Amino acid sequence: MTGDTGRYRMLVTATPPAAPQEPPRRRPAVRLRRLGLQTTPERIRALAAVAVLAIVGFYIVANIAVGNARDGLRIIGHDAGPQVLATGDLYYALGDMDAQVASILLTGRESSPGAGQQELRSYSQDRATADRAALQAAELSAGDPADQEAVRSILDGLGQYERLVSQAMVLDKQAHHRAGPPPGNVIAVYRQATDLMTQDLLPPAYNLTLEGGATVREAYAAKRSAVLAGRLWVGLAGLAVIAVLAALQFFVVARFRRRLNPALAVAMLGLIVLAVSAVRLLSDEAAHLQAAKTSGFDSILTMSRAQAISDSMHADESRYLLDPGQADMYLLAYLDKSQTVLYVASADLSEYDTALSAAMTAYRANPRSVGFRGFYGDEARAHPGPAVTTVLARYQQFQADDQRIRQLVNAGQDRQAVRLLTGRTAGSAGYDFDQYNQAVVSIIGQHRATFDQTIRAGDRELERSVLGNWAVLLPLAALGVAVLVVAGVWARLAEYR
Amino acid sequence: MKRRRAAAGGWVSAVVALALGLSLAACSATGPASIVGRQTLRIGVKANQPGLGQQLPDGRFVGFDVDVARYIAAQLGVRPDHITFVPVTSANREAALENGTVDMVIATYSITPKRETKVIFGGPYYVAHQDTMVRAGDTAIHSVHDLKGKRLCQVTGSTSWERVTQELNIKAKLVPAASYSACVTMLLDGRVDAVSTDDLILAGFARAGTAVRIVNAPFSYERYGIGIRKGDVSGCEAVNRAVSQMYLDGTAAALLQKWFGKTGLQLDTHVPQFEGCG
Repeated sequence: MTGDTGRYRMLVTATPPAAPQEPPRRRPAVRLRRLGLQTTPERIRALAAVAVLAIVGFYIVANIAVGNARDGLRIIGHDAGPQVLATGDLYYALGDMDAQVASILLTGRESSPGAGQQELRSYSQDRATADRAALQAAELSAGDPADQEAVRSILDGLGQYERLVSQAMVLDKQAHHRAGPPPGNVIAVYRQATDLMTQDLLPPAYNLTLEGGATVREAYAAKRSAVLAGRLWVGLAGLAVIAVLAALQFFVVARFRRRLNPALAVAMLGLIVLAVSAVRLLSDEAAHLQAAKTSGFDSILTMSRAQAISDSMHADESRYLLDPGQADMYLLAYLDKSQTVLYVASADLSEYDTALSAAMTAYRANPRSVGFRGFYGDEARAHPGPAVTTVLARYQQFQADDQRIRQLVNAGQDRQAVRLLTGRTAGSAGYDFDQYNQAVVSIIGQHRATFDQTIRAGDRELERSVLGNWAVLLPLAALGVAVLVVAGVWARLAEYR
Repeated sequence: MKRRRAAAGGWVSAVVALALGLSLAACSATGPASIVGRQTLRIGVKANQPGLGQQLPDGRFVGFDVDVARYIAAQLGVRPDHITFVPVTSANREAALENGTVDMVIATYSITPKRETKVIFGGPYYVAHQDTMVRAGDTAIHSVHDLKGKRLCQVTGSTSWERVTQELNIKAKLVPAASYSACVTMLLDGRVDAVSTDDLILAGFARAGTAVRIVNAPFSYERYGIGIRKGDVSGCEAVNRAVSQMYLDGTAAALLQKWFGKTGLQLDTHVPQFEGCG
């Protein structure tokens, strides 16, 4: 900074035609004279005008940069970000409704009077969650007719789905069947319901989540680099204003033989404070955007998708037992989804189980080398720690239970397989799945907290400055500096009147 | 003095150049060349699958995949005469993307977690189901499980045979072949007993008037993805938007009807659930 002002001092003090002994020095003076800047007041006025213009320039650059920070926070924290979370909730709730229905139909009605009650409660809760999340998603997508249309079509389809489900439930009750596959007429109605869910309702909900994720990714990339570039420009514009103010100060001091022009000095000080705080603000906002995106949003999206896909895997186990005619399809879907959630090279499910065990043993021995891919590979690499270790251990148990279920089926013990899958007590696959799901919910909650905290911190910083909101501070401070410049030269110019 | 002023000017322009350089560097550091913003596209399609991707004797490519490719290229802003179709096989699709022979693959390319380790998938643009085709006179095979002990055609690079002999553990005898059209020839002349792959592929051969029968016992979801070079996330997202649009404006339904309307297959005209761009 001092070096720069020093350089300008040499420039400026040399400019007036005070020292005619060196011929080349006359040239700028000649140029100034041609511009009509012959007298001292004209030159002061011209320099002051340049200073005010530089301040306006600084204001524009800073305003754009702060605006980019504000937009980034709005899109990621209050707009597309929350919409992704809402549509993610919608997707999970819809998928879980179908999972609960499969479980109810599989359990049958004869086993115990309370059978299926918990699943029915979950089904109603899911229905309420789906409504709430759909409403929220529709509100957040107010500006996008295509998104709103997608949400509306999901809700329309949901009514139709519910009619099919109640029809299947009534037929199932009438059949009064043992635990295991219900009669053909129940399966036929359920197939219609689950096809409607998986072909018409779930895809638009999932695609809305992905589309929102893409919007967040693009906004993040664009806004963060704009904020960082803005920081550089704000710094340069601040230096330019300071240089012009210094020039003005030295010119006035030299011409009027005063020590210091106080108004100009205060203006310069004010601008230094303003420029430094703006640069600091922009650095902080870029950091908040980065933390919200990489430590919060990305992991929420990854883990929410893992949770929803795991839930549909659990439902595929029920459907595998419920609908023997489609068992191959559900078995292969389960394998594909397993490899999406956690990828280890394997040709079939039992190989997958073996490869998973090996990968987990290696991971526990050295959590820093993650020898698997998929959603959990990403999460384990991005956020190693006890939370992800718990999720992985419970996922492994979930897969081990799946092997037991399929072994029972292959041995012809279908009823034991159903009991193992739908059980709720410790040691049953149903219990283990609930434990696994809770671990995923808890890790999503942690990332959600990080996301909310960083967005709140970013918002607070935009509002918290000496004068309150930056939207107010910036124009006021710029105006203040400009007024000081005018006031500083006004009194000197008055001496010529 | 003059020299000093010039030095100061040089200093300022250096800073400006540095700033511009920094922002340009930030722009170019987003991964491999994207399929977004391209003037031309090389798209890998199959050359010998009737109804999906077929090269006619005059060199033109026709089929559902080819039409989908044209639509997506148009959505990406590429003029029809700036698309080059490149024939690919099941075995060389990943390599063609990785070594840059093609920019995009639309060639009955099922999304699998294993392939996702090498490429990324836009879409799926359609979800097909694997089924089994036998000779018209064959009455012994009614489901994929009846393939136990039978000779099944094995196309290199395709995952269809893996579904049967590995994932479902059905002990069929595998007979290697280079393509599904080769499989159909082998089925007709008795070198294999069955061809098992996606219903859309089988429907194309069945429609061609050959003496074959599809057993109509589908057993998997085959999500046809649009293969893109790994890392091109914005390209993948743009492709997904194009696929959404294709279903929204009715093009998908029209194309499915055009190529498979007469096959008797149940065609799903709802937008599929996308895989996600990573």
